[in-house]
Amino acid sequence: MTLGGQKLNAQSTVTDADILNFALNLEYLEAQFYLFATTGAGLPANLLTGTGTRGEATGGRKVNFTDPLVAEYANEIAADELAHVVFLRNALGAAAVAQPTIDIGIAPNGAFSTAARAAGLIGPAPAFFDPYANDENFLLGAFIFEDVGVTAYKGASPLITNKTFLEAAAGLLAVEAYHASLVRTVLFRKGIQTPALIDATEGISNARDSLDGSTDLDQGVRPIGNQSNIAPLDANGLAFSRNAGQVLNIVYLTGMARTQGGFFPNGVNGNIRTSQAN
Amino acid sequence: MINEDQAFKILEACDERREARRSFLRYSSSAALLSGATLLSACGGGGRGDGGASDPILIPGPSPTPTPTPGTGALGDADILNFALNLEYLEAQFYSFAAFGTGLPDNILNGTGQRGQVTGGRQVPFTDQLVAQYAREIATDERNHVVFLRAALGASAVAQPTIDVGTGPNSAFSNAARASGLIGAGASFDAYANDENFLLAAFIFEDVGVTAYKGAAPLITSKTFLEAAAGILAAEAYHASLIRTVLYGKGLQTPSLRTATEQISGARDSLDDPSDKDQGVQKIGNMSNIVPVDGNGLAFSRSAGDVLNIVYLTAAAASQGGFFPDGVNGTIRLSTAG
Repeated sequence: MTLGGQKLNAQSTVTDADILNFALNLEYLEAQFYLFATTGAGLPANLLTGTGTRGEATGGRKVNFTDPLVAEYANEIAADELAHVVFLRNALGAAAVAQPTIDIGIAPNGAFSTAARAAGLIGPAPAFFDPYANDENFLLGAFIFEDVGVTAYKGASPLITNKTFLEAAAGLLAVEAYHASLVRTVLFRKGIQTPALIDATEGISNARDSLDGSTDLDQGVRPIGNQSNIAPLDANGLAFSRNAGQVLNIVYLTGMARTQGGFFPNGVNGNIRTSQAN
Repeated sequence: MINEDQAFKILEACDERREARRSFLRYSSSAALLSGATLLSACGGGGRGDGGASDPILIPGPSPTPTPTPGTGALGDADILNFALNLEYLEAQFYSFAAFGTGLPDNILNGTGQRGQVTGGRQVPFTDQLVAQYAREIATDERNHVVFLRAALGASAVAQPTIDVGTGPNSAFSNAARASGLIGAGASFDAYANDENFLLAAFIFEDVGVTAYKGAAPLITSKTFLEAAAGILAAEAYHASLIRTVLYGKGLQTPSLRTATEQISGARDSLDDPSDKDQGVQKIGNMSNIVPVDGNGLAFSRSAGDVLNIVYLTAAAASQGGFFPDGVNGTIRLSTAG
């Protein structure tokens, strides 16, 4: 059994505040994506301030949902992610990082399109991926993030020293897993009629796996034999872990050691900011 | 691009969600005992960031001071993992019978304490093949959890206790369904009769595992076990969300399914401690409620005693009952009084 945070520990003394701030960057990203998708607007300005360089979230817009269930799911997840931003900012107080620059746009060279291209969903530029175009694209856009949050919180769990924060992080971990499962369940069900959706989850999963190192830490929703694969687990029935550097590989969309890229064009704020060299 | 009006609408929606929870609390049997302050505490206040007493965590500053582990005295990691193993035996047996028609193999049932039998499970004649696939996936995961915990515990692993997953009128499932108002006096709830009953029976367990692992997380001292427990916590949350999502989706055509989840949730809430730690899937405003969360957007925690209240189906301090007619094995075996 490996500890998910070895790389993170290697950055010398990482405090609980460093870990929670790392999580806050990810929650900013998720909250902005879901809030734009559901309301056409992002987080209010008073939830974006803090230490480090404050950036804007650009390119998001409202999805014109067709399936009312998907709209209800999106509204719920948006509310939860907003609550997570508020919660972490409260917990961190004056130490909370500002929102970094976030790219959730649809440009051919933007983060979503780059991720979708790596997953084989679209061809070379000028092709682009628009996660706001319809229900299916929204669900795939959500899928790009969801399991990553679970693995990030799991990987961070043994590094948190304060028991109160640890239990809170466990609460965040659980919620991200509920979200991930919701998105996976809906993609799987819709994939019965539209098998390309199931193929797309495998493509996205493989793209993530190609970024974060040699170990397979990721699964799409294609059934295994006569069993669905809603929960991505190892042979022990446990969810996977990613260390902070591996999480940054995915959100920066690079397999190398970098301090910016992908969904965070100017990098994340805080002390944990370098992706892993794989 | 920032539109504060829109964001405030979302914040209001959060409030609605909490308000709906408060409303639910008012109707739950335990709510009458609660003070206003406790109600607020149960619903959380972090969605507003108001920093009130309802915020469970407000430790500002870059280097938060560790707080002592909330007291359960001298519990070892093995005690906690064995407690979890009892719950995994229960889940694994239920899903294994429902999905495959057979229980766990004998060679993963032995251990310390009194070994019991599992009675009353059988295969569900699934109509919806997706539900059948989900059942098989969860059954496999739960069996893997049993194997994993037994391997982690080695010679100290507890044996499977007596487990009741039957369908008689006095079975645990029927008692739970009766407490939820799903069936009347003397009636039986058959968890294996059809897709819908299977999903509701699964719902009876699923969120409980999440709250149990979350509650136990700060008590585990080994970092390795802690990370493993976080992995099982995540798996249980994936399962719970899967079951909730399917019930919510089917509830569009069959609204009684969504209502039933609220009833079961209410029954669980009446058994554990007075705070509201449980939610059905009923729509709140324009939102589904797949994820049961507090006002901070966090999953709930239950202590081991609260978890035993639910699986023993008693609000009193007891050492057996419900799904574990002879109690669980191991050192953690008493449910909480009140």
